[in-house]
Amino acid sequence: MAAQSAAHITLLSDLTPPSLERTWLTAPHPSLPIVATCSSDKTVRVYSLTNFRLLSTISGGHKRSVRTCAWKPHVQGESVLATGSFDATVGIWRRWDSYGRADTEGESWGLLGGDRTSDGGDGVVNGPEADEDDEWRFAVLLDGHDSEVKSVSWSPSGMLLATCSRDKSIWIWEDLDDGDNNFETVAVMQEHEGDVKCVVWHPVEECLASASYDDTIRLWREDIDDWGQVACIKGHAGTVWCLDWEAVGSVPSSSTTAMSDDEATRLSTQLKESRALSGPRLVSCSDDQTVRIWRRQPKEQQQPQFGGVTGVPSIIRPTGTDETWEEDAVLPKMHELSIYTVAWSKRTGLLASVGADGRIVVYEERLVDGSTLSMDTDSPDPDQKTTVSTEWVVLGVVEGAHGIYEINHVAWTKRADRGRAEGKDEEVLITTGDDGGIKVWTIER
Amino acid sequence: MSSEIQNVNPTILNAADLPTRLRTLESRKSHSIESALFAGTLFSPGDSIDLPIGSYSSAGSDSEGDLLEEPIDEQEIYDLISTISDPEHPISLGALAVVSLPDISIKQTLPEVHESPLRTVTVLITPTITHCSLATVIGLGVRVRLEQSLPPRFRIDARIKEGTHSTGDEVNKQLADKERVAAALENGTLMGVIAKMLETCQ
Repeated sequence: MAAQSAAHITLLSDLTPPSLERTWLTAPHPSLPIVATCSSDKTVRVYSLTNFRLLSTISGGHKRSVRTCAWKPHVQGESVLATGSFDATVGIWRRWDSYGRADTEGESWGLLGGDRTSDGGDGVVNGPEADEDDEWRFAVLLDGHDSEVKSVSWSPSGMLLATCSRDKSIWIWEDLDDGDNNFETVAVMQEHEGDVKCVVWHPVEECLASASYDDTIRLWREDIDDWGQVACIKGHAGTVWCLDWEAVGSVPSSSTTAMSDDEATRLSTQLKESRALSGPRLVSCSDDQTVRIWRRQPKEQQQPQFGGVTGVPSIIRPTGTDETWEEDAVLPKMHELSIYTVAWSKRTGLLASVGADGRIVVYEERLVDGSTLSMDTDSPDPDQKTTVSTEWVVLGVVEGAHGIYEINHVAWTKRADRGRAEGKDEEVLITTGDDGGIKVWTIER
Repeated sequence: MSSEIQNVNPTILNAADLPTRLRTLESRKSHSIESALFAGTLFSPGDSIDLPIGSYSSAGSDSEGDLLEEPIDEQEIYDLISTISDPEHPISLGALAVVSLPDISIKQTLPEVHESPLRTVTVLITPTITHCSLATVIGLGVRVRLEQSLPPRFRIDARIKEGTHSTGDEVNKQLADKERVAAALENGTLMGVIAKMLETCQ
């Protein structure tokens, strides 16, 4: 939290016009510079990140609030959106990516880069919104949940769709991709003891994580044709609202203390090796006002070891696909009320959290110098540096980011407007609030 | 909801003993009970909140200047919720002592952020019997009433008073869950019950 670690979080633009009712979530498209926002007014709005304007409104599919949505990854020439509603159904919507192919339209979507900056005008006359409102095709309604659908997530391949609900169940559907919009129910998991608030797939594997009103986080995998729970993580003292995975192979590059580049690189490499064994970590946020990070124990360490290195023999020996997850870190406490969303940037490794207190908090993980550690632990043994430690620091806080309103969601995505730096992959944060507003923020270091 | 009455013989407080600023002000104004009866029709719920009695005369001039002024106090909150009817008796929550003035508090939501206009209104609800299955509905009624009447800078924390209900923690978790409350507000059956409870509010 020291001054030198500060980053400036600046409002870049609102997405306009906003919804007149509460907005719950904004999902950035996996490849196009567009986002979809779910609203209590039963619609989903699609906005451009190039000019921050509304492109189209998807309506008529849901009878109650649209709570959640997710874009299907790896679809060629078409955008496919899954929506989950308080009306207990999941909708699948399709739209041809006409703008991605036609040059003139591609330009208005910012796909051709900054070659029009010379025209000086920032008018939006070339926006495609005028005639595209009706191009969203309602493909299919997935009916199965008994009550409000809270979250939907596509597997990394796009083959599987996970949905969860207040009915305590998680459903996994397979998109048969048969051109007939057929989905098949693959599994229904009912182990959670309360509303399932969030489901999110592992970035590369077919492993699903879920968060619940029962205060637990659970992990699910398929084992010989059968989907089942492989871990139940307890630790939060309240509803777990949201989860996100870290990118594969992500390690911090900067350190909290003065450290030579060589030293930082060495630690970074060491960390990368040890993390490769446990895989991407999970972050969670809760009604208990904490953000926690969880790490899977590498498989070989789960087996009872000769001579009991840990001193505590494992009584419950994990068998088969069972995984043991442990707490890796608790982030600095920066929120006063419920934390609704935490988002882990797959590009930079930064974390952002938002909640009922109206704050946006951005955190960064840094390497901790091993020498300061050994002083603390009173063991000057140089061989002690087998575990590289890291520390999470707060990079920036925005107070009252949506005025007096609560913030329901935050997401990272690539910046796409003309103001972005040339040739750089700049990232923006998108926040979604109770005021119906959606805001785009830049982070400057 | 079962039609069976759970508490057949609740304790009812005398209406005259209930705390209300509305009545004392009205009677001081030398108008008699009759005008007090009409008071409800003269002010819409919105008016009585944004322009609380006592600040009418100066409302126009201070609205910009004095931000420190806290025009909404515990009594205002009590006046808003004490007239809600119990879902199973045609009696108000105030008369049943389900809500009471000492169990209402208003605090800075973010105490360390001085300029923050956010306020948290905490209402402790005392169900008439410890196993009342309607506790959640009563809590929801209180929350809905306050959310509809108070400006959005107020965060509503309606909860069952500790030790007064067998499943208080469970009820409280549900009442504090924004998503569940939002979904409940879209549930026609439940909102029918709530609307009936709020019918008796001025």
